[in-house]
Amino acid sequence: MSMPENEIREIEAFLFLEARLADESRYDEWEALWTEDALYWVPRRADLDPAKEVSHIYDNRQRIGTRIRQLKSGFRYSQTPASPMRRVLSNIEIAPAGADEYEAGANFMLMELAIQSTRNMNFWGGRTLYRLRRVDGGLRMVVKKILLIDADEPIANLSFLI
Amino acid sequence: MGMQRTIVYDALVHRDRVHGSLYTDPGVFSDEMDRIFHKGWSFVGHTSEVPNIGDFKRRQIGLQPVIITRNPDNEVRLLFNRCTHRGNMICAKESGNTATFVCPYHGWTFGVGGEMRGVPLQNGMGKDFDKSAMGLANVPRMRIYRGFIFASLAAEGPSFDAYLGKARKLLDRACDMSPDGEVDLSAGWLKHRFHANWKMLPENNTDGYHVNVAHASLMRAVNAFSSQAFDEDKGDNSVTRDWGGGHTELDFAARYHQTGRPFQWFGGVPAAKMPDYVARMEQAYGKDLAQQHMIEGPPHAILFPNLFLAELNISFLIPISANEVVQYYTPLLLKGAPEVNARALRQTEGAMGPGSFLLPEDACMAERNQLGLAAQSPEWLDLRRGLEREYMDEKTGLLSSAVSDEITNRSFWKEYLQLMSSFPGAAA
Repeated sequence: MSMPENEIREIEAFLFLEARLADESRYDEWEALWTEDALYWVPRRADLDPAKEVSHIYDNRQRIGTRIRQLKSGFRYSQTPASPMRRVLSNIEIAPAGADEYEAGANFMLMELAIQSTRNMNFWGGRTLYRLRRVDGGLRMVVKKILLIDADEPIANLSFLI
Repeated sequence: MGMQRTIVYDALVHRDRVHGSLYTDPGVFSDEMDRIFHKGWSFVGHTSEVPNIGDFKRRQIGLQPVIITRNPDNEVRLLFNRCTHRGNMICAKESGNTATFVCPYHGWTFGVGGEMRGVPLQNGMGKDFDKSAMGLANVPRMRIYRGFIFASLAAEGPSFDAYLGKARKLLDRACDMSPDGEVDLSAGWLKHRFHANWKMLPENNTDGYHVNVAHASLMRAVNAFSSQAFDEDKGDNSVTRDWGGGHTELDFAARYHQTGRPFQWFGGVPAAKMPDYVARMEQAYGKDLAQQHMIEGPPHAILFPNLFLAELNISFLIPISANEVVQYYTPLLLKGAPEVNARALRQTEGAMGPGSFLLPEDACMAERNQLGLAAQSPEWLDLRRGLEREYMDEKTGLLSSAVSDEITNRSFWKEYLQLMSSFPGAAA
């Protein structure tokens, strides 16, 4: 089923906005993108069962709120100051999922400067799977599942918004 | 041609201070790998990671790659991950199940328990080639206590019992949180890279002094956590303990007994939300002992040099270099306690790992310590806190002190110095 061009452009624009808000650590605006039944998830493996195995991040809406309050506290030392970041999204695929939702996927490459300690340039990459919902005419994020290429390897601090 | 330097450890480790070079000198790191991680005992893994015959899991002891396997006789084996032919790392997969390890270089084949099965074109090996002598090398000494696998790469040396000492009780306390008396470490490991010296991790993990400061952001974000602030000036009677052998503990039991409520260590979840667990614990241990376990919770302790019993998490470290270490974390799942385990998974994600609410600050502090230590003045790190008030606790027989005291650091370094300076050939 092909989607109308303007709908595809609208969803891509949402993904780019979400990426930019994360890159720029614009915490309140990023938090406002989520629905109440949100899931922000960084598993160690794409097919991981969260009832049996541990993930790097498995935040429901409440925990996203805690994460943002912590980042905004001024004492989240691992993100004080926030890491300068830029990410590139590509290979975007979008499909409708039910009456008012969409599934999307995008590869990403993210350069993150660990300015709080080592000043290493960390290079993160993988594919992000999104579930989006149309709410009051606009788009909101229901699920963001980030599949890091090196999720099961030793990784650096992941306290920024990935 | 590098000249071998002899480092005099007695000059670098004092009761109330340690020298900065211990964290930065590659020569020290090299001695530590040899004397602590290779010749001494350390934690390697858990039997629940290889539950079935043919299961294998890669690990590292110090800098040396090993494989934990379960052989066809249902025994756990600890093998060096090195083909006996020309040294190829024979097992590249992180974990799995197999009948054999086949070297991809020349096809030498070994059973999952390490025994040699065969080599291609065997005639060329000569008539004295003895397959039974060419199996994968076993780690010289392995001991399993309640599923926890420890090893030493030295055939001779201090016994496992002498190494573990009184700290056996800490492992007992972790396992006795399960009504079946068994824990399960099968939920997978989060792996966290620190650009810091490995010793900062055990020193930090039972440091009660940093919590209010380094983790202030979580206290501000979550009220429930702020009520757990560590402050002996405000009635927190938790204590730090020296279990001997470099094993150390932050013991919160006294604080938890102030109210006597169970599960304060578990976010204060009401007992009514875990009725089956409470019933099974009372059935297994009797009402009084079960109540004590549920009030006091699992231990918060370090087993020297690399195991962290982190309440409802298990953590260990693998040293990489003087400036780099990897820390692993998994939930401490309790057999027979599905209500606890479901919460434990989410609690581990909240507390531990590179994306959690706590460990990123610990990693950041460790890395900034490492950066600060590049400055060579002052030469020493100050570990005097609590020296004037530590005491022998008659009830436990353990040297103890207030929750923010550096008795845990001093205990760590006492064992460190013992291992580093009493080593045969070490400078006196």
